[in-house]
Amino acid sequence: MKISKFLLIILFSFTIYIQNLSADDAKMLKGLEIFNETAGCAACHILKAAGSEGNVGPNLDTVSLTVESVKEMVTYGLGVMPAYGEEGILTKEEIDIVSFYVANSAGK
Amino acid sequence: MSEMEVGYMKKIKNKLNVNRRNFLSGTAALAGLAATASVVPITISNANHKEGTKGLPNFISWKNRDALIVHSDKGIETHRSAIGESLITPNRNVYIRNNMPTMSDSQIGDKNSWEVSIEGVKNPKTFSLAQLKKLGHTTIATILQCSGNGRGYFEHKVRGSQWKTGAAACVIWTGVPVKAVVDACGGIRSEAVFMTSAGVDHVPTGLAPKKAMVERSVPKKVYLDAILAWEMNGVPLPNAHGGPLRMVTPGYFGINNVKHLGKVAFTTKESAVKYMKTSYRISPIGKKGPQYPSCWEMPVKSWITRPTDETGTVKAGKVQIVGVAMGGTRKVRSVKVSVDGGKSWKRARFVGPDLGKFAWRQFALETTLSSGTYNIASLASNGPDKQPKLRMENRRGYAHNGWMDHSVNITVV
Repeated sequence: MKISKFLLIILFSFTIYIQNLSADDAKMLKGLEIFNETAGCAACHILKAAGSEGNVGPNLDTVSLTVESVKEMVTYGLGVMPAYGEEGILTKEEIDIVSFYVANSAGK
Repeated sequence: MSEMEVGYMKKIKNKLNVNRRNFLSGTAALAGLAATASVVPITISNANHKEGTKGLPNFISWKNRDALIVHSDKGIETHRSAIGESLITPNRNVYIRNNMPTMSDSQIGDKNSWEVSIEGVKNPKTFSLAQLKKLGHTTIATILQCSGNGRGYFEHKVRGSQWKTGAAACVIWTGVPVKAVVDACGGIRSEAVFMTSAGVDHVPTGLAPKKAMVERSVPKKVYLDAILAWEMNGVPLPNAHGGPLRMVTPGYFGINNVKHLGKVAFTTKESAVKYMKTSYRISPIGKKGPQYPSCWEMPVKSWITRPTDETGTVKAGKVQIVGVAMGGTRKVRSVKVSVDGGKSWKRARFVGPDLGKFAWRQFALETTLSSGTYNIASLASNGPDKQPKLRMENRRGYAHNGWMDHSVNITVV
């Protein structure tokens, strides 16, 4: 009895883990699409994970970023980088996703 | 505009000696436009650059890695203790701050054939670098300082490289006086108000000039001090610092010293590109727009370069406190040093040659310190202006010259 309860808990935890993993994977995939296509970040940034070779902004493989710092930068822009949020180029949801993607791909 | 804002802008004006006429005309012409002020690259205090030789980006693999703090491959700062103790900052230690990628040798081509057009003069002309070298010759020492130098001390969340003291250098430039070039073109047209310089480093990126071109307007009078430089500290101007030709605007923040120079125009209006209109504007926190003053004249400033927390603990006894002091567009007159956080001050002496009002002076104060902890600060004056204690709070963290933030804490054992 005790063993089956234990197995059930393990199974439940594993299911939650898989679900989360899938959610994150989906976010990463969508983030890649926004990075390379919707927002066109790839044109200006190097990011090996995305296969991009732009050289206008900082090389994202060489920096460590948090989701929050990317979100701030994408929302308000900096220098030649557009303010994707303020100018309504991306939706808030798209900014959340691409920031998650960049923070989890940069500096690797 | 609220009374508070008016007061704030007056304060900025007083601090930076902003040209009032330009400031007001800018307000009238540009008010109401949406703006996205800002500049510098990304905010990365924990950058971990791994690419290239020695962990430096390939385009500056010749630099001295040990002297540099790498914020990103586009923003590289000089350590406080590595700006040079012989007045001039060696090229290998000079900071890097790029708005556009550095142009490569192949993009530049034959350097002597590099061309710059001169407009807003009676006889507009285009000169090659080889032709410029025949028009005149001069050498000057100036301070190159990023507008955001000191941003790392601001406490509000400021995007951009978190520079402390090292987005600054003292450099000897050789080139031709802009005045000599202007004279060769019959003089400036009488209606001109600004000298507007444009780089061409955006061209290889294919980005729209209005968004990406580094074109900066400064008051016309700057042309009397300015030079078009092709040599930096005794060597041909490196591509990474704007080679083969760069505008040098003595006393003005780094951004006005346009790299990869392609055009100098004497204009009636400020440039309308983003880097002039909305970026590099000194506005209150939470406000932005082209109505605020541009990063032009540098204010009086100084900081300690030895001893610092970077150089480790200090042995008790006789200590040389060394630093650099700049007057902005005026000659720096005096520097005082405090070892007790500003409670008491002693006048330091200037050491080494005086390279002119646009260079910094090195200063030294010999003192005796017993074991303990000390806060060492420096306070420079150029006569009418002296460094304030506190920073001037502003949205983008520009023009910081407050002495308290720039002080260093040391331990004497």
